[in-house]
Amino acid sequence: MNKIIILILLLITITGFDTTSDQFMTRQGQVSFFSYTSVENIEAKNNQVLSIIDFAKGEIAVSMLMNAFVFKKSLMHEHFNESYIESDLYPKATFEGKIIDFEPLATGVQTKMVKGNLTIHGITKEVEIKTTIENTNGTYRLIGDFEATVKDFDIKIPPVLAPNIAKTISIQFRFEYQPYEK
Amino acid sequence: MKNKTRFLTYLFIYLGFGMSIYAQSLLDKLDKEYPETPQYEIATFKSTRIGIGHSIENRKKGVLQVVAMNRYWNIPNRPSQSFVADKWSARIALEYGISDRLTFGVGGTTLDGIFDGFLKYRLLHQQKGSGGSPISLTLFQNASYKSKRNRPFVDVNVFDDFTDKMAYTSQILIARKFTPQFSLQLSPTFIHRASSAFDEDPHNHFAVGFGARYKIGGHISIASEYYYVVNPLKSIETYDAFSLGVNWEMSDLMLQFMMTNTRGMVEDAFILQTPNNFNLNDGNFIFGFNATFVLHLSQKKL
Repeated sequence: MNKIIILILLLITITGFDTTSDQFMTRQGQVSFFSYTSVENIEAKNNQVLSIIDFAKGEIAVSMLMNAFVFKKSLMHEHFNESYIESDLYPKATFEGKIIDFEPLATGVQTKMVKGNLTIHGITKEVEIKTTIENTNGTYRLIGDFEATVKDFDIKIPPVLAPNIAKTISIQFRFEYQPYEK
Repeated sequence: MKNKTRFLTYLFIYLGFGMSIYAQSLLDKLDKEYPETPQYEIATFKSTRIGIGHSIENRKKGVLQVVAMNRYWNIPNRPSQSFVADKWSARIALEYGISDRLTFGVGGTTLDGIFDGFLKYRLLHQQKGSGGSPISLTLFQNASYKSKRNRPFVDVNVFDDFTDKMAYTSQILIARKFTPQFSLQLSPTFIHRASSAFDEDPHNHFAVGFGARYKIGGHISIASEYYYVVNPLKSIETYDAFSLGVNWEMSDLMLQFMMTNTRGMVEDAFILQTPNNFNLNDGNFIFGFNATFVLHLSQKKL
């Protein structure tokens, strides 16, 4: 009798908590950022951003390694990691939030707000990002851009170099999701 | 009774199991998805030199460094009217990254008219976390040519043939970044002098360099270096080279300020032929200033 109950419970566990079918994931998400000043233009791109969406809950998470950003100048990569973002101490940037009023089943393009917590350089800020979601044949594409203020994330820029780095950095992202399999 | 307890245990395990799955956030899930590619330490030192000597760092492929090294000092017992310092020596050098691991450099020094060329090869990269190499290792080889006599000092080499004026330095540079701030370098050195003016002087010398840097800010670090010579020259009195200074990195420009006791800027000159100890007396105290400008001749496509 007890064994049967346990079996039933186990079955419920396996089926009931198996939410993988509702989850979509990407391992090659793209995030790039730009800093335009009259002195210098800085541009970097990360092609190995991880992101996952849970459709059942409308939740989204993004995680990336800071040292995976590629710069045009190799020395910039070193300075970015060593002097500004301190990737020894804060190796990752993350985002965790919700897509507001998300309709997973709607095909075509929909524009939604994504609200959540963005963590860079160990500092978490609440942000709202306008995102374009495109559903084509069961794969989802999220595209958008937003701006972040350098000061908000406690990134120290020495006064001598202040003209070289923009006060606000524009960030672009593009994620193409596939159904998540373990 | 026994069955009941067993049932309860299973129930709790089940609940615990269920909750642990439920508690797993999407971010935790992503953390497990990172591919296990090795992560290497970068910027053990900010510059290709710690102060007076080379560090394990190389510049990447297609990067040209223009280096201006300067040493200023006063002549002792001289009622000097000179501006800032009585004497000045400069070494101008070009260093180019042939590949991410290999650097080639040439330089010319005003004092003694020394011309030098070197190759530097990065053999090992220190890996983050467990596994991989715990140290970074770079091989260094140079050849230097001393074109001028160093009056009134005694010259330790012969000036007859071209080859007499040569000296060769080989170094194994070993470094480890212990914390994001603190790095240490050990540099076993072998120097071969092609000629000797005095029979008592050996042709081959062994030395060990010790270097360290401590980062006091994102852009500023304190760096110090010391070279111990195992078998120094015997014909003249020499001292071990020492330097203590500040490294200041600003974008494409690296500035290094240091107090040192050596005028030399090429390995065999400063390791073997430093004629004075480190103190603040005129002639012994030398102020050093290196400016390194980094030019990216080839840029990555994004």
